[in-house]
Amino acid sequence: MRQLGGPKTRLGRLFGAIDWVVVTLVGVIVALAIINLNSASGSAWSGKIQTQIRWISIGAVAAAIVAAFDYRFLYRMAYPAYAFGVGLLALVPLVGIMRNEARRWLGVGDYQFQPSELMKVLLLLALARYLHDHGGAERKRSRLRRLLIPTCLVGLPVSLIIVQPDLSTSIICILLTMSLLAVGELSVREMLGIGITGLVTMVLGWGFFMLDYQRSRIDVWLNPEAYADNEGYQTIQAMIAVGDGSFFGRGVGQGTQNALHFLPYRDTDFPFAVFAEEWGYLGTSMVLLMFLCLVMWCLNIASQARDRFSALLCVGIAALFFWHILINVGMVLQLLPVTGVTLPFFSLGGSNALTMMIGVGVLLSVSRSRERRS
Amino acid sequence: MALVATLIFIALLGRLCQLQILEGEHYTRRAERNFINEMIVEAPRGRVFASGSEVLATNRPAYTLYVTPIPRVTVESEDPKAPPVGARVPLDDAQIEELAELIDFVDQDDRDAFFVKIADRRADELNGKYPLAVRSNLSWEEYARIETRREALGEWVEIRESARRYYPKGELVAFLTGYVGEITPKGLSQSAGAYRLGDRVGKTGIERQWENYLRGRLGRSSRVVDVHGRAVPEPPPDALAALPPIEDPIPGQDIHLTIDLELQKIASDAFEGKPAGAVVAIEPQTGRILAMVSVPSIDPNRWQQPIPRADYQEWSESPYKPFIDRTVQEHFFPGSTYKVVSALAALDDPTFDPEREVVCDGFVKYGGRKFKCTHKHGPVNLHQAIVESCNVYFYTLAIEDVLSLERQEIFARRTGLGERTGLGLNSETKGIIPTEAFEAREGTYQRGVQLNSAIGQGNVTATVLQVAVLYGAIANGGQVMTPYLVDRIETHDRKLVFASTPQVRRDLAAIVPADRRRIHQALIGVVNDPLGTAYSERLPNITVAGKTGTAEVGTEISRRRRKKKDEELENPDWDTTEDHAWFASYAPAENPRIAVAAFVEHGGVGADAAAPIAMKLIEYYLSRTEDPSSAPIRPSGVAPPLPGQRALDSAPAGPQGPRLGQLGGPR
Repeated sequence: MRQLGGPKTRLGRLFGAIDWVVVTLVGVIVALAIINLNSASGSAWSGKIQTQIRWISIGAVAAAIVAAFDYRFLYRMAYPAYAFGVGLLALVPLVGIMRNEARRWLGVGDYQFQPSELMKVLLLLALARYLHDHGGAERKRSRLRRLLIPTCLVGLPVSLIIVQPDLSTSIICILLTMSLLAVGELSVREMLGIGITGLVTMVLGWGFFMLDYQRSRIDVWLNPEAYADNEGYQTIQAMIAVGDGSFFGRGVGQGTQNALHFLPYRDTDFPFAVFAEEWGYLGTSMVLLMFLCLVMWCLNIASQARDRFSALLCVGIAALFFWHILINVGMVLQLLPVTGVTLPFFSLGGSNALTMMIGVGVLLSVSRSRERRS
Repeated sequence: MALVATLIFIALLGRLCQLQILEGEHYTRRAERNFINEMIVEAPRGRVFASGSEVLATNRPAYTLYVTPIPRVTVESEDPKAPPVGARVPLDDAQIEELAELIDFVDQDDRDAFFVKIADRRADELNGKYPLAVRSNLSWEEYARIETRREALGEWVEIRESARRYYPKGELVAFLTGYVGEITPKGLSQSAGAYRLGDRVGKTGIERQWENYLRGRLGRSSRVVDVHGRAVPEPPPDALAALPPIEDPIPGQDIHLTIDLELQKIASDAFEGKPAGAVVAIEPQTGRILAMVSVPSIDPNRWQQPIPRADYQEWSESPYKPFIDRTVQEHFFPGSTYKVVSALAALDDPTFDPEREVVCDGFVKYGGRKFKCTHKHGPVNLHQAIVESCNVYFYTLAIEDVLSLERQEIFARRTGLGERTGLGLNSETKGIIPTEAFEAREGTYQRGVQLNSAIGQGNVTATVLQVAVLYGAIANGGQVMTPYLVDRIETHDRKLVFASTPQVRRDLAAIVPADRRRIHQALIGVVNDPLGTAYSERLPNITVAGKTGTAEVGTEISRRRRKKKDEELENPDWDTTEDHAWFASYAPAENPRIAVAAFVEHGGVGADAAAPIAMKLIEYYLSRTEDPSSAPIRPSGVAPPLPGQRALDSAPAGPQGPRLGQLGGPR
């Protein structure tokens, strides 16, 4: 449907179809992330960085392909894609690659891949479709039945992921589901109910079910100095790195916590601490604001979406970014306990980068056919 | 939804603001504490030189092994069961064992001590996090072995460069230089923070006496290290700027000794075949110590390495007592060398006539005991009594109360016996000069003690150094000098810090010159009179004045030893029933430039055992500065004139032509 006064040429139409806000934001963030990753791995332009760029390129191509499809194609493909994802996850315990005593990877040679990461987007697709088809407050069905199918949809992959074991990805999957349900299905009262139930479960779990090491993790979070010669070390060093950045930062590659390796897991768990040390408050506030813009823009696209499916999809992508950012940055700033949740684009990891780029592709696809309100 | 997201992002920004802007300074300090490695820089210890600038003690580069018993995990492990990065995991015994395999231990005790040292520190949760010097002065092989295995062992092993003390002359000057060793816990607590654990301090000798001069002042430097504790070649500029300023160490001061190394060597060589003894040579006019040897001694370099228990045990059980400096730490009966003191004391009595003759029958009976002489001397006066070393003469004086204990004591003290010489080296002993009060206290007082004291037995003891100083005083005309070993002290850039000046401790000038001359003549007679006890040892071209001494070892002890000896006759050189041999002398007699006291423990007769040693020293020392062949050979048996007396009595003895000692500066 061409608008009046819109571009006439094919190229012009293509240009008009691309959501340049998303592309610019993601482009700047990826550029900063690459600079930061390079700095975190000793400014050596090492193989790690090249691999990461390769994966981001693959992700960009994937995003372009996904964006090229009309979102209705995504709607049709939602369940098959979900089934494909679950199939991959089911393969992992059988032929997966064992690394660090965890079986998370599929792949050949250099190209190794975590299906659990991809599952995050596929789960969003399936949930969005289900909620589109059967959701809506107007339908009169029992609360239990309404929640049963989504629970099954998330339960199947999560149970496969949790046995790998990969707790953080499972948590992200559950949080994504909750976010979609919160938007599309539940009333405020129901959300409160679920929230309170969750809290009670956590407290009970803390008291009775949590394993010692998990409990100590909480202890470490609350009082890292007491564990300075043990698990608390990472938290403390991350805090020192962040604080050492001050307002202007130490400069790229000049952060002592980073360059002298006092900060562990610089490229996976704590790239944000590296960034904070080298770019200072100036840099961190800039990046956080860009992330916030990205999330807000996702919600903006959702609000202009033509149908429930695409709206939910965008909310899901927003939630995907949001939870990753919150949990990772919160961990770096000692607001949350240490988990393995990555920071989108900043953390080293091919599957994660690919997943995030596919998310961006979905976003672009939906954005293309939204109803522009002027 | 958007509101929730915005609020949460604002919370994150707020937290960032708190950490980066409000508390940024605090975290910057903590980051600095991470990467700044402050190091104490050891000052090079001052060196010790002999008078000819020969090096006696210096420093050599060495390697010290450090171990951190509770190291931090700094390497990200692939194994999820491994402790997380940043955790401190105490070493297990297998790791220590692995390191111990690379070290050459001298014996099992040494090895056990190594383990205990690390294990003790490992049990200390506070200090265990810091590197501990577990072994210093690694050998080159050990260094190479550990260095090649260091990556495999882990970051808890570290080798740092340090300095070790080296004594090029080894045993020759062992008691003079002394040695350095690790500070004891007691010394550490008394140092009031001036020393740190593991510091090396002077334990004996010059090293100990002049510790404060030799030590220098520590410097401080700092460097940027990474998480593995290794220095970073190109640290970030901010890190470099944060380093505290460098303080250079001030090297210790160099000590120049008065020791004549060649003479020291001659003296040391002269003791060949004699397991124990000592010799001290001083310059009579000044008190400079020219040579000071005590045998046996232990190479001070040995103390720089761990000593096998077996060796240590052998030393401590050795009858030769190699730990004892016989020049100052041990006191012996001076025997007949003490007779000069007795003679001075007797001459002080106005009723005493030195020309009066006493008939020596080989013994004298007193208080039911028989006091023996070496043989029958017949009638002797004071001169002959000294020359022939007649005990009966002095016994008689003692019986007649000319030589009362009191008078003996006065003169013994005047000549510097019974008190420390003031050298201050190696915890010098005073020796004993008996008084009636002392004898009463000891419960040994009998009248016979007075007799024995008169010939340097009984309870009279003196150190070799005291005897040397005493004969130096007789040689220089009555001034008891304070002997000194340190000529001067200089800073590392050769600025003079301290220079010794001769110091007179006691002046015997009040003694009538005629009395002194009488004794001097007698001492010349000992060596040059055919009847003299050391006549056989006289030098062809140097007039030596001296006195032999043969100090009897307590009979009770010797009987016990004799019994023991029958059971285990292991060392034919060392008969503990033998007397101590002494020879105290000065030369040239006309104008003395050297005074020597030689002592051979259980060496037998003084003239046979000790005199040759002293003669070798005198001959060498005087020949070095002047050609002895140019001196006229004096007909034997004729006493040379006294210094300054030549012009007065034109005695036939007065040799013509250039004389020894004249060039040295007549007085």
